[in-house]
Amino acid sequence: MPDPIDTPARFRPSKAVLFVDSVMTYFVKAGGVLVITAVLGIFAFIFFQIYPLFKKASLQEMRAVAVGETDYKILGMDEWGALPFLVGEGGVVRFVDLAGDGQISEKKVPFDSEKNITAVSWLPEKSELVFGSEDGFFCVVAVNYTRDFSGGNKVVASLKAEPWIAIGPEGSRVEAIAYNEGSEGKLAAAILFSPENGGKKEVRAVTLRQKKTIMGAGKLEAGIPFDLTEKAVKNPDRILVNKGADSVVVASQEGEIDYFYLSDGALGLRQRFHPFEGAKDSRIATLNYLLGGVSLVATNPEGLNSVWSLYVPEGGNSRVFGKTKTFPAMAGSPDAYANSLRNKEFLLAAGDHLSLRYGTTEAVRWDGKLPYKVKLAGISGKNDRVLLLDTEGKLHVFSLDDPHPETSFNALFGKIWYEGQNAPGYDWQSTGGSDDFEPKLSLVPLIVGTLKGTIYALIFAVPIALMAAIYTSQFLEPRARRLVKPTMEIMASLPSVVLGFLAALWLAPILETRVPSLFCIAVLVPVTAVLVGYALSMLPMSVRQYLRPGYEFLIFIPLFLLVSWGGWELGPQIEKLFFVVPDPATGGQIADFRRWWPLVTGTPFEQRNSLVVGFMMGFAVIPIIFTIAEDAMSNVPVALRSGSLALGASRWQTARYVVLPTAAAGIFSALMIGLGRAVGETMIVVMATGNTPIMDMNIFSGMRTLSANIAVELPEAPHHSTLYRTLFLGAMMLFLLTFAVNTAAEVLRQHLREKFKTI
Amino acid sequence: MREQKTNRLHDFVRTKGEVYVWLASMGLVIGLTMIVFLLGLILWEGVKSFWPEPVAVFELRQDAGGAMQQIAGQITKEQEKAGQATAAENAALEYQIRTANRDTYGSSYRYLDSSQIASVTYPSGLVEVERMEFGNAVGFPESVVFGKSGRTVASGSEEFAGALAKAVQDAATRRAQIEKIEKKEIGSINAEMTSLRNRERSLKSKDEKTAEEEKEIAGKVGSLQGEFEKLATRARELRGEQKNDVLVLRLASGETRTIATGDIVGYFYPNDLGFFGKLGLFFHRLVLFLIENPREANTEGGIYPAIFGTVVMTLLMSVAVMPFGIVAAIYLREYAKQGFMVRCVRIAVNNLAGVPSIVFGVFGLGFFVYLAGGTLDQLFFSETLPTPTFGTGGVLWAALTLALMTVPVVIVATEESLAAVPRGVREGSLACGASKWQTIQRVVLPAAAPGILTGLILAMARGAGEVAPLMLVGVVKLAPSLPLDGDFPFAHLERKFMHLGFHIFDLGFQSPDAEAAKPMVFATTLLLILLVVFLNLFAIIIRERLRKKYATGAF
Repeated sequence: MPDPIDTPARFRPSKAVLFVDSVMTYFVKAGGVLVITAVLGIFAFIFFQIYPLFKKASLQEMRAVAVGETDYKILGMDEWGALPFLVGEGGVVRFVDLAGDGQISEKKVPFDSEKNITAVSWLPEKSELVFGSEDGFFCVVAVNYTRDFSGGNKVVASLKAEPWIAIGPEGSRVEAIAYNEGSEGKLAAAILFSPENGGKKEVRAVTLRQKKTIMGAGKLEAGIPFDLTEKAVKNPDRILVNKGADSVVVASQEGEIDYFYLSDGALGLRQRFHPFEGAKDSRIATLNYLLGGVSLVATNPEGLNSVWSLYVPEGGNSRVFGKTKTFPAMAGSPDAYANSLRNKEFLLAAGDHLSLRYGTTEAVRWDGKLPYKVKLAGISGKNDRVLLLDTEGKLHVFSLDDPHPETSFNALFGKIWYEGQNAPGYDWQSTGGSDDFEPKLSLVPLIVGTLKGTIYALIFAVPIALMAAIYTSQFLEPRARRLVKPTMEIMASLPSVVLGFLAALWLAPILETRVPSLFCIAVLVPVTAVLVGYALSMLPMSVRQYLRPGYEFLIFIPLFLLVSWGGWELGPQIEKLFFVVPDPATGGQIADFRRWWPLVTGTPFEQRNSLVVGFMMGFAVIPIIFTIAEDAMSNVPVALRSGSLALGASRWQTARYVVLPTAAAGIFSALMIGLGRAVGETMIVVMATGNTPIMDMNIFSGMRTLSANIAVELPEAPHHSTLYRTLFLGAMMLFLLTFAVNTAAEVLRQHLREKFKTI
Repeated sequence: MREQKTNRLHDFVRTKGEVYVWLASMGLVIGLTMIVFLLGLILWEGVKSFWPEPVAVFELRQDAGGAMQQIAGQITKEQEKAGQATAAENAALEYQIRTANRDTYGSSYRYLDSSQIASVTYPSGLVEVERMEFGNAVGFPESVVFGKSGRTVASGSEEFAGALAKAVQDAATRRAQIEKIEKKEIGSINAEMTSLRNRERSLKSKDEKTAEEEKEIAGKVGSLQGEFEKLATRARELRGEQKNDVLVLRLASGETRTIATGDIVGYFYPNDLGFFGKLGLFFHRLVLFLIENPREANTEGGIYPAIFGTVVMTLLMSVAVMPFGIVAAIYLREYAKQGFMVRCVRIAVNNLAGVPSIVFGVFGLGFFVYLAGGTLDQLFFSETLPTPTFGTGGVLWAALTLALMTVPVVIVATEESLAAVPRGVREGSLACGASKWQTIQRVVLPAAAPGILTGLILAMARGAGEVAPLMLVGVVKLAPSLPLDGDFPFAHLERKFMHLGFHIFDLGFQSPDAEAAKPMVFATTLLLILLVVFLNLFAIIIRERLRKKYATGAF
């Protein structure tokens, strides 16, 4: 660097100093920017974790394989979608090798005797085909897929047929066949046509037995037969058996549906309903079960699509179908349906219109037009392949990427009608026992729980903290003030796990039996304060002069202890007077608030309740509100206070009409920061509530907050699962909420500082 | 006369709003009373858990106690009997009694009505035995039986005290030996075996396995196996010896029980101790609490691993948080152009301190554990995959997560103390020809050092007491080994660790017998609070001194 003034060498800084200086400048700048970016990068990272929750499904066509223009009835596949098969007229089974070059190999079904096949159905969950024959028999054929590692990683299929079993009278033709296996038993049902019977269609069903032998499962045998023809709809057209193998659904050509339920060895008609009654075309185009066998997906020839689920209606005592969801209409009459084996997703195709939908949330995950007309569809077991057979005999292979179909804005924040419930609701239940469990991921009960905890904590903390702050900053003797502030700061530093433990194991059992005492104290303490204060201020000045201002609290300490003790002892007496309930065990009258409360209000009384949480969380919040509010008030310029006092205002008038309005912004920011702390508090809530995600404001029941929910569920959530990302969403909401609240508070405080500068 | 009149007038002058001042004082009183009460409660309960209580023997009335006529135990709670609070009935008192002898009675606690109790005595000679399993045993000693020699020393004889002491002492020596063999020696053999196995696997996966190497590894494994067998046999022998000598105890309820000396941790005569005897025992228990490993699902024994884990984690966190926090603060205060952007950044950083700690835990799990840890595993520990090494919670990730959580605290404190260094000092230094960095390094930083230290201590206090984020990034209820030990490479930062705060949560919330764990929780709570409060007090004191020092120079 050229030196404009010719500085003598001895005054010039040495090169080493300048070098170190510039190095450190870069180091500090780079380091500082890096740290700040990293800290702010938290937001970005969490955002990228939750972003996939709101992505739609993606479908990418990978290849198309010509499979010949045969009239195929069934498209089935293995878990990976590597070796699908097609079943055509007469029971021909053709496998398409998609792992290789799309070679087609025909496999003969090893039936025990040759029959003319007239009907076929496919159970993807069990990987079983069911064939119906011209002479009233049916046969279950297992399609076994195994991975063969010997020559690379290949999928190999084999077919194993059970014996033919009669389901209809001799000479009748099987028109449609349905079959399923539950944990309790197996059931087959069929629609039969016998020319001798005047062309009338029959509905028959039969239970099946399978003897377990030492050699494994034995052969299938027919059990009890049922003739449902008389009870069932006229002109039966479609028939389904549910996953539990205890019910049969029969649909007529006119679009009416009968629901038969197997109990006590009889298949009785439980319900008849007409899904598209009132629509222009009330017939049914497709009718299929969703995964789990509790919901039926129905469409009509107009393309209307609705889901009917089993639930116990209000006042009823057995489960019947009710319409729970309505999807947007398809472009035409749907002719292909496939459902996922992982979740409640299903695929509908009407001509060239393809739509991937999610049964729980009424969400359309993918929707589009294809350049061909779809005849058959299938989704692979791993939910990552979609196969479509078009009308020109081409099999199209799609890769499906939809890892989080369960979530949508509606699922997270709206009311959802879940399977088995009798009304839509907000629910959080992330895991269940079975594979076909519907995760319930509504964040609303958690938000309500968070607000509930926060509100109860603030109701308790705000008055105490603000009164203490006003007193400490305005009236307290300065020497005492120097002790009070550090004490409050230590209170702020108490680990929340300690408060939580005390709340759960010490406070909750005590408060459980002493609720009336607590209310007594809550009433008595302020009343005493007012009465004593009034009485003392009425004393003649000659006496009053001995009460030095700034020391009021010293008199109040014993008073407070006395009144608290009095209230504590008075509680049981009050309980005996007002909270008496009949004892169901002895028939006598007992005084017990715990039983009185549910009896009178109809809401439960739990030991770990919001009162306990509010108390302890309030305890955690008090010092924070106190410190900031006290700072704001004691920073009010002395000139203002002195002026007010000099003009003859009393110390309370000065505090109320000069200090409070001036420091209002600071006090408000104290409340905001207190709110932020209460919202995010975790350990107290985890330990002192039951952590049940309920939606009420009852002070004597628990709750589950967003933060507690994360602490409880995240350690068990698989990496990158929907639950994992949803919990990240909860964390993001907490982050944004507290960040916004704190920023508002900080801006207010800076504003206040500016204001004081000018005074 | 006139003077008197003014006085009387004066007497009836009322200051407006005094009532509200009283009401406001109530707020302060409630706050202060609550904190004093809470700290007092923890202190009392914590200290009480070490103090030996006398053991009472309750004589029960014939009709009440069934077969058992007498029962010994300490009264732990006295309460009015529930559900009988109507006016007509006299409230009966109910006692909760810690009876010990869980193996005999099925539970350590029992409730007695005052109406059941005929008399209460505190007989001398009653012994309380701390055992490895089933909590304490309480009873009258009958004899010590030495298994090898077959000698029996009855409790009446003069040799009894010496014989019992010797037997227990021998057992303790053997226990220490067993522990040394099983934990240290077998542990290090296991560590070597694992590393050999990993090497073998990585060779196999790279297809570089040669016959020589294979042989070498097999040979080493074989010799280690041999050593292992030898040690295991020795440990088994010692374990067998632990059962040889037994103490015969007669319980207050009449049963006779034998306790192998190998199961005895310690014993004392609660009703025969004087004040100083109790005091001695108090300190003995306190020391054991601090230096021993936990037993029986953490409800007995010490909390040494939790203390160690907390300290290691907090220190690691400080090491991580200090340089970053200080550099960021120096940048913000000394180098960055003060303007709207820097003000925004400052507000944002300040507000991060108010973001719930669980959010940092979530971030730590997603970023450190899964992303950083998972990547490290892929790069350096692929031979042990799919078992994660760094790709699971551990003390390093916990420390970094808490460092991120506390970095705003350090930045804010450092910035404040940098701002408090008077302008004149800086300008003086610059005028003397010092460069900017020299000024910062030699003038500003030393002056701001106490303030920075305050920030760091506050960060440590916050980090030491925080539990929620740790639950996501690596704290466990029982860690098999410490994060620092004698096995190469000595610091095992990937290991899971125990933590005082989580210990409280686990004991109080997830323990199968919450009542029996209570003294332990209170003791742990007391320790954690002392740690946090002392750190905070330290910070407050430094800050107060600093305030005085710069009282004139600020701004």
